[in-house]
This record gives sequence, C-alpha cells and structure tokens, in this order.
Amino acid sequence: MANDMFSALAHPLRREIVERLSGGPATVGEVTRDFSVSKPTISRHLRMLEEAGVVSRVIVGRTHRLALRPEALAEASDWIETQRERWERLFDTVGEYLVQQRERR
Amino acid sequence: MTDKSGRVVRIQRTFDAPAEDVFDAWTSPEVIQRWFHCGPDWETPEAEVDLRVGGNVRVVMRKPDGTEVQAQGRYTVIDRPHRLVMTWTFDDDPSNEQLIDLSFSESEGSTTVLMVNRNISTDERRDAQDAGWHGCLNELERMVAG
Repeated sequence: MANDMFSALAHPLRREIVERLSGGPATVGEVTRDFSVSKPTISRHLRMLEEAGVVSRVIVGRTHRLALRPEALAEASDWIETQRERWERLFDTVGEYLVQQRERR
Repeated sequence: MTDKSGRVVRIQRTFDAPAEDVFDAWTSPEVIQRWFHCGPDWETPEAEVDLRVGGNVRVVMRKPDGTEVQAQGRYTVIDRPHRLVMTWTFDDDPSNEQLIDLSFSESEGSTTVLMVNRNISTDERRDAQDAGWHGCLNELERMVAG
C-alpha cells in the first residue's frame, strides 16, 4: 500500500494535483486548470491517484468532484514512522553493545 | 526529509567510543542479532556477516510458533572506520530494497554516526521518470497534520 502511495506521488503533475486539493475538494476542471498536457494524460494521472487511494472522485451529473483521502496520506506517514523506529532501535543496540564492550575490558 | 531522493530516514547519534569500535559494532553479528531479537521467546538461529564488498549480511529469526523471518543485505562500500554502505531488505517487505549509508566521524574520542536510509526502488523510479521529490514528504506531513 505504502508503495502505491509513494509511486502515485512520484510525479510533479500528480503532486501538483494533490497540493491543489489540499485546500479542499474541487472539480477536475479546477484542479487541472492551466496544465499544459492533453486530457488523456490528465485522466491517466488522475486514475493513478485514485487507484492508490490518494484521491476520491464523486460524479454528480456532469461534474466530477475530486477530494483528498487523508487516511491514505496518514498511512504513508505511519510507514515512514515505522521505518524510523526500526533504525532508532538499531542505534540503541549499537550503543548498548559499545557500553558492554568497554565493561569487558 | 526535504532530501530530493524522497523516502529518506536520517538518524544521527554520537557514541562515546573511538570510530574503530563504533564501526566494528555496526558490523558485529551480535549487534545485528540483538537488534532483530524482538521478543523474549524468539530465537535467532542465524546471523551472518561477510564483511567484504559484495559480501552478505543476513539474519534469521524464529518466532515461538516456529515460523522464521529474515532480513538481508549486501555490503557495497567498506571503508573502515569512515564509511559503510549496504543494501537492506526486510523479509516482511521484500519488494522494498533499501540502502543504508553510514558515515563515522570521530572527535575527541567520541564518534558521530550519520545514517541515511533510503529506498532503492523509489530512487530507480525517480531516475526513470526524471522527477524530483522536492519536499514531497514535508507536503505530505503538512497535509496529514492540517
């Protein structure tokens, strides 16, 4: 899951979409205004964001409204925190080992 | 976290020991074994360190129910006592090959270790797409917080 999330964000255009949506839900037109790429390209990027669970789409009549899914972002942030804790524990282990080495001498 | 290589964890700590000792601790099978020994009734039947460029480091743990989990890496830079670089992959997340880059600097008998841990597959993707990350994770955190 975290991997999908990170690859979804590994493109400047998709990050721009996410940034624009961070202010609140918006229509596809609003979010992709002044993007100098074709509609199919925009659709492809939006689909990647939707598939990764970063963005949700609600269709009302002819209007497609997009919104961020904060829980997906929280999951990515949790993943980073888990990694950090793992490595911090390795530093603790090295520290304890060094103290014991010194005591042995 | 603003490093453009993306999913980066940076940890820095100073140990009260000379650089050689600190470096040796990082490559000690005992340390790797202890680090992975994450429960009192777990066993660590294997921890191997083949300290040469291209050599493997590997640890196998056994849970009380007999299932084994492991993690492994490969040394890519060994410059004792200044720098150590290795790949690292946790068994529970096999598609996520990471790179651990350790720098050691000694000053007045203490040694500061800086670890930069980043994800290899993300770096490769980034190169392929020629897209920098520029503060992406900061953005992420800001949005989560906000």
